[in-house]
Amino acid sequence: MSLTTLLGFSFVQNAIYAVTAVSLAAGAVGYFVVLRRQAFAAHAIGHIGFAGAAGAVLLGLAPVAGLLVFCLGAGLVIGLAGASLDDRDAVVGVTLTAALGLGVLFISLYSGYANATYSILFGQILGVTTGDVWLVAGLSAAVLLTVSLVYRPLLFVSVDAQSAAVRGVSPMAYSVLFMSLLALTTVVAIQIVGVLLVFALLVAPAATAAALTGRPARALVLAMALALASSWIGLALAIWIGGPTSFWITALASLAYLGARVRSRVGQVHGQRVAA
Amino acid sequence: MSVLEVRDAAVTLDRRVIWQGATFRLERGAVAAVLGPNGAGKSTLLRAVVGLVPLSAGAVSVFGAPPHRGDPRVGYVAQSRAADTLSTMTGRDYVGLGYDGPTVGWRRDRARADVVARALALTGTTTFADRPLRTLSGGQHQRIAIAHATVFRPELLLLDEPLAGLDLAAQAEVVDLINLVRDQTGAAVLVVAHDLNPLAPIVDRVVWIARGHVRCGSPDDVVNEATLSELYGHPIEIVHTARGRRVIVGLDEEFAHPHPHGHVHENEDPHAHLDEVYDEVTR
Repeated sequence: MSLTTLLGFSFVQNAIYAVTAVSLAAGAVGYFVVLRRQAFAAHAIGHIGFAGAAGAVLLGLAPVAGLLVFCLGAGLVIGLAGASLDDRDAVVGVTLTAALGLGVLFISLYSGYANATYSILFGQILGVTTGDVWLVAGLSAAVLLTVSLVYRPLLFVSVDAQSAAVRGVSPMAYSVLFMSLLALTTVVAIQIVGVLLVFALLVAPAATAAALTGRPARALVLAMALALASSWIGLALAIWIGGPTSFWITALASLAYLGARVRSRVGQVHGQRVAA
Repeated sequence: MSVLEVRDAAVTLDRRVIWQGATFRLERGAVAAVLGPNGAGKSTLLRAVVGLVPLSAGAVSVFGAPPHRGDPRVGYVAQSRAADTLSTMTGRDYVGLGYDGPTVGWRRDRARADVVARALALTGTTTFADRPLRTLSGGQHQRIAIAHATVFRPELLLLDEPLAGLDLAAQAEVVDLINLVRDQTGAAVLVVAHDLNPLAPIVDRVVWIARGHVRCGSPDDVVNEATLSELYGHPIEIVHTARGRRVIVGLDEEFAHPHPHGHVHENEDPHAHLDEVYDEVTR
């Protein structure tokens, strides 16, 4: 099948638009997830969203409504409790457990076919509707706009919270703001790659970028580019070769990370030899 | 007008009085060392001065007004926990955050690069400013942190344990830099430290906190047997070495401030002082 024929299908077009929007937002927010060492929180919010989606299905609502409510709620709790606490992971873990418990309850109460929950878990990129595209594009644009506006204070408070606080940048306010951005990004990313693989877009490209460059602005742009590349190539491979899109995206993002680690390891060994 | 004036101030956290009765002034160009056992509230004093911790009594005034966050005349270097928190960022990027880190928006200031370059030059950090922070030594890291805090040539510079974890040569470098910054900018400096000796050449005032009480004065006024014995509630001996260093005997960290969880993070080997005496005597 030729490329032009493929691109003529509206489901392919929708998939391309959606992964583009999601990848850019996830790459940018993911950079701060890595910088702030909040990968566990990112992981938890996705799973908490699953409980919300299951609840929405039970009530006969759109899963995305449940996703938004639960992800934003969890973001608020984790953001408020985890701004300065050392036991941030405990707060995240307890919130995660409580939400997953609710998810189990909702699924057991739901008597219908669990197709909707399945797509929440694993993503449904080729089933994205035009309405989904607008939602995803709108939320991603809002996230990117906010990140670009607060880039400097968010960076400051993420690397040195105490000095930032002295300079009038509130770690608490930025913790809540960032967790809200993370929650929104998770909601849109779940539409594409699902709860279980949200990491592939949110953490892997950013971790790869951070391993390749220490300059914050470069790493941020590189994270977005890597997320975009793994989504586009993953989508293309899924269409041409077959297999789930989220598998290909995950595989590519993980391979890129592995490559970056090997490269920086080789660079370090080389550097040590030069120094010696 | 004093740069910093603390009047009968007290801080209470979780209903526990951290310290009370703190009264001292700091004039332009003066360096004060904040000393005392671990957990005595030395960092809390710095945090009270920048308005991050509320007072339960008394008053703090900075340039004649209550402290407020975001005052560009105040430079602050937090206690560096581990170099890896700042990981792969370069020193230049980090110093740049001292310039426009708090700024929301898209506008990029054209003066930024020049101001950052000047701060790097003043602190002698230009040669390693483009290396990732995690590759720097403790002393280099601390000097970059001082560059970050002096971007706006502050009139009050607060340093939290800048000598912790450094070897003697690096300690001397950082002390020289503090002195240089003070000379160049005329800033008043408040330094939290564990040991007065490395700072002694540049220190004008000592603020000693122990058992919830604060004594302030010239080094000789505070670091003497009578004052410290009263402050600690048991006899303290001070030995002056041939090179003019003070060795303080009888500072029992646990006794000076019983810690509720028995978890005392100690950077310094208490026996180091006695080793120093031995070295001096046998030299």
